[in-house]
Amino acid sequence: MKKFLLLSACLLGIYLLRAQDNGFLIYSYKGNIAVIENKVESKAKVGKMLNSAASIKVAAGGTVTLICNEAAMFSISKAGTYTLSSFGDSCKVSTSSVSANYVKYVWAQMTKAGSSPGSDRKKFMNTVGAVSRSVNNIWIDPRLDTVNYSGGEFPLSWKSYADVKDFEFSLFNTDNTTSPAFKTVVGKLKIPIQNFAAKLKTGNTYLWTAAVKGENNDELKVLNYVTKESFQSTLAALKASAGAFENAAEEAYRLGFLLEDAHYLAEAYQYYSKAATLAPDVPLYRSTLMSFKKDYEIK
Amino acid sequence: MKQLHKRIGQHVRRFPRHFTKYLYERDTIFATIWVFIFIVVLGSIPLNLSVLNPLKLALKDFDVSDMTYSELGKDMNHALDKNIVIVNIRHEDREGLALMIDKLASYKPKVIGLDALFYKEDEENPVKDSLLAATIKRTPNLVLAQKLQFSNKGDTIYTTGDHFKSGATFGHVNFFTDSLATIRFFDPFERNYADSMFPAFSSRIVEQYNDTAYRKLLRRNKDKVYINYSRHQQRYLIITPEELMLDKFEAGQLTGKIILMGYISEQPTDIEDRFFTPMNERFIGKSVPDMNGIVIHANIISMALEDNYINKLPSWANWLVAILLCWLHMSFFIRYYLENHIWFHLVAKLAQVFSIILFSYLAIALFDWFNLKLDMKYSLIVIVMAVDVIYFYEAFAVWMHKKYHYHTVFHQKHH
Repeated sequence: MKKFLLLSACLLGIYLLRAQDNGFLIYSYKGNIAVIENKVESKAKVGKMLNSAASIKVAAGGTVTLICNEAAMFSISKAGTYTLSSFGDSCKVSTSSVSANYVKYVWAQMTKAGSSPGSDRKKFMNTVGAVSRSVNNIWIDPRLDTVNYSGGEFPLSWKSYADVKDFEFSLFNTDNTTSPAFKTVVGKLKIPIQNFAAKLKTGNTYLWTAAVKGENNDELKVLNYVTKESFQSTLAALKASAGAFENAAEEAYRLGFLLEDAHYLAEAYQYYSKAATLAPDVPLYRSTLMSFKKDYEIK
Repeated sequence: MKQLHKRIGQHVRRFPRHFTKYLYERDTIFATIWVFIFIVVLGSIPLNLSVLNPLKLALKDFDVSDMTYSELGKDMNHALDKNIVIVNIRHEDREGLALMIDKLASYKPKVIGLDALFYKEDEENPVKDSLLAATIKRTPNLVLAQKLQFSNKGDTIYTTGDHFKSGATFGHVNFFTDSLATIRFFDPFERNYADSMFPAFSSRIVEQYNDTAYRKLLRRNKDKVYINYSRHQQRYLIITPEELMLDKFEAGQLTGKIILMGYISEQPTDIEDRFFTPMNERFIGKSVPDMNGIVIHANIISMALEDNYINKLPSWANWLVAILLCWLHMSFFIRYYLENHIWFHLVAKLAQVFSIILFSYLAIALFDWFNLKLDMKYSLIVIVMAVDVIYFYEAFAVWMHKKYHYHTVFHQKHH
């Protein structure tokens, strides 16, 4: 029994050692990529071998493609510092045999439903016989040209003329519109500001755009991340402008309208909601809130 | 339940009889012979009867084993080939190439191959020619490409594309196939009428890199060699001109290695120096070329270095398999034709589909497990033709029976 346990422990040890001993090769990269080995940071180089203990630092806008154990290829395009040991799952290579794949292939082909342009227009009518010349597939509502934001729930949204599933949202600092400070791929036609609010500095102005994944969109919109104090002073000024008596719902509705006009859209949404809640029997408040939600893709 | 068990068992025991009942009948053997007579006769007609046959035209470039690469993941088992590094030369001019070669040579690779043809001098920029000529002269481990041109009856060979002759070693880059066909073979050593040998570009590189591998390649110098594609472009380390010139790569990856300089498309719509290979995602029908010439050379070199050749079965073995399969199918079809004629067409069609799937798998399995290439083309053709030949043979046998009292199992015509 002792021998058996010892053997099992040895085998487990060997397995764990092997599992940790993944080798990573830098296959290609774009942008600023650095590697950290033994606490020493150096610039990435194509063909460099790294072990699991090394880390890789991806700057905003950078992409690095690695090959694990000379077989499994994967890319990192999100800015950050990554320890390579955390990519153990990416080292797994499909081990399906050719025979198993043949059975799967034959079955998939035999059970594949037939379709034709007549019966499946969505699938077949996407082939176009023209080149595209500076046609922007994304339309961003001009009301989002400038957004003042101090906090709260609000999405930046757009519309797409292309039937695609993935979109790239990019956020730039005003002094550098070539390398985005934040970039992410989203599956919807909007991104809540809260998703990247942690990367914003209060008081700063940013530029943003959305594009079909793999395409560029030169149209940049402004996002002002204003301080709470600045917003409060604006709000106080707006509150003070009341000319006559108004109840709480009326005040909320007025403030919502004025904040929307001042491009404080997230805050305007809060006040429109407040007005509709305080006076649910007033159709104007409810319909305005519904229209606002529809216009700005708030669901 | 026990009875059902017994009934199933009885059917299973009887099943082989479906194949063997008529196996040794004279009619089965003669009908099988007729299938091959038809193949030979149709194949001997000196006219291209497939001129408007879309099926034949589509299948012309089809090989069952292509599926192992394109759909079944045969290439997934191969790791990055660390013996070879590809350098993308993009559209660099002769001066740019000279700089790149000089830079690469400084890392002491074992051999550098430049997969580019130079047809004539650059009259507008003779200085660029001089730079490249000087670089070639001082790089003894550089292999250059040349194109073979054939005249007379194809036994006289001229070379072109080898303008810079100053001390360089040349290898031919011809792939002896239609430019739109799938590249499956290469000719490691082409010979002219005087038996002078013209080694291929990849053969030259193997010669300089690994003597043992080269000797093995030499032993295959009488035949075209079937290329065992093992790696997509992503299974080779590729360096761009910027990465090379700005030292953005690990220098240790080049020392003692094979450096292949060639054009790599960076856009999917760019088909310059790009060809169809069995690795194409679409293994049949219209498609776009999938692999650059330099990656094909890399695959050939990988195959030679790993001694991973594909062995083709001789033609007689392919024909023998086709004969055996045809005989077996004919026996099976005749049994249904005579005894269960109402089910004949349904059974025959199902059997054809099942057989094609099964025997295609046999070819794929042999290819995958043993690198053995069994040409199933004739086998698949005879399985398809067997049904039609039965109709002809029945009419023929009944006519022979009436005229010469030929003894046959077809006593009366079914159609």
